[in-house]
Amino acid sequence: MKAFWKKPAISQRAEFLSARDMLQRAAAISMLFLLLHLAGLREFTGILNGTIGSLTLGWNLSAFLAVIYIMFYLAFVILVPILVLAAVILAMGRRCVQNAENPRITSDANS
Amino acid sequence: MKARLKRIVAGLAALVVAALIWLPCLHFFFSRPVSEFRQELGLSPEARQLAARHLQLWTEPALRETELNKMRVSNAEWDFMGRSYLVWSLANMALRDPASKPLYLRTMDQIIDETLRLEKQEGMYFFLMPYAKDSRYVMQPAHSLFLDGEIALMLASRRVVEEKPEYKPLLTERVNAIVERFQKSPRLMLESYPDQCWMFDHCVALDAIKMADHLDGTDHEFLIRDWLAMAKRRLVDPKSGLLISSFETDGTPLDGPEGSSIWMVAHSLQLLDADFARDQFQRARKELGAITLGFGYAHEWPKSWPGMPDVDSGPIIPVFDISAGSSGMAFIGASAFQDEEFLKSLAATVDFAGFPNRTHGRLKYCASNQVGDAALLYAATLGPLWKKVETGTKPR
Repeated sequence: MKAFWKKPAISQRAEFLSARDMLQRAAAISMLFLLLHLAGLREFTGILNGTIGSLTLGWNLSAFLAVIYIMFYLAFVILVPILVLAAVILAMGRRCVQNAENPRITSDANS
Repeated sequence: MKARLKRIVAGLAALVVAALIWLPCLHFFFSRPVSEFRQELGLSPEARQLAARHLQLWTEPALRETELNKMRVSNAEWDFMGRSYLVWSLANMALRDPASKPLYLRTMDQIIDETLRLEKQEGMYFFLMPYAKDSRYVMQPAHSLFLDGEIALMLASRRVVEEKPEYKPLLTERVNAIVERFQKSPRLMLESYPDQCWMFDHCVALDAIKMADHLDGTDHEFLIRDWLAMAKRRLVDPKSGLLISSFETDGTPLDGPEGSSIWMVAHSLQLLDADFARDQFQRARKELGAITLGFGYAHEWPKSWPGMPDVDSGPIIPVFDISAGSSGMAFIGASAFQDEEFLKSLAATVDFAGFPNRTHGRLKYCASNQVGDAALLYAATLGPLWKKVETGTKPR
């Protein structure tokens, strides 16, 4: 029963800057960006050229929503791929180290 | 503790390597062939989609009102310039796509008629920024070359595509009034705002005069020649060789060269003095244009004459010193002078950072506004109108 309720591996808190940590962060950013995008916040980015996003919401709220959207957009297109690539690099590096260590362990055991 | 430190160092190193791989590749995801933005013949897919959005604005009054009001909160000029750029774009589109000419002409007439009605009903200050009322125009009665030049070019563009007899006296009247004021001005410098003259407005007005000559057989070559000689002598920044953007009626510079002005100025000059136009574009490209990691953009000011951000430059993005206004207008320069590398990189930037919204075959850039998108549409379609005037082909 306890095993049934166990969280899936991907949602378990990973060690800081481990490959899994990077993938979790990438997934979180992507999810948040998707939500902001679906909420229609892209419309507020007109603030970039000095145009108000919504006459109803006014300057301050429009600017705030624009800044939030732009930050998550940049994180999605720049940071997320970097995090995913870094996770792949770490996983590959780990596999290389393991491959390098394994033959030594095997030869140690034989001797 | 040692294992944790080792993991963090490995993680940071992986992030650095990943960044070094990803950042130079990023532009590949936003780059498209130049032909998607601008084509030598016919209309590019981008032009069609941008035009579809603008045509929708002119068939749905409520939508148009919302868009225009959003711009007018910041700058009433944008409402006016959005109309001008759209009319000039539609003129080029009508020449590129004769099958759709009736629709384009109808929309042009609708925009021109409404603009003239508003100017007559509300007065010239309706399309100007509030500071126009702060002091008295030096030359009386007060006129703004900004309005007169762009309206004249709208009327002339319409007539170059296809003659409309009702617009002939309106163009003649507007052009004669501009010429008369040039003749009264000892230095050939006309105001757009009180004691404030703009290079952009002079070039557009002279284009309209040139077009009127083409249409109606008048001859203002001497005026154009004298004005160009004066501008080369008095209105060029000696360090960059670029035309300055604003000056007083006695020629005292107000602003130095500006990206939000010079790209369109260079394009306007193509109709007046092709060699000077190319020289200005090449200098602007060198002083203001930049491409980083495959993304093109433009600065607002050359290093020789820095300025302060204003409504024309738009917000300046630090570090790279990117001006939204100058980068948007750079499309016009790159397209007019067929600088494909720059145009392609600018298009990559606008797809990356302009937040395009494509729905039902219509395109708008959310980070832009109606006037910004209309200027992009103009960049995607310009060419045939100037060519028709240069080759002297009269409308039927």
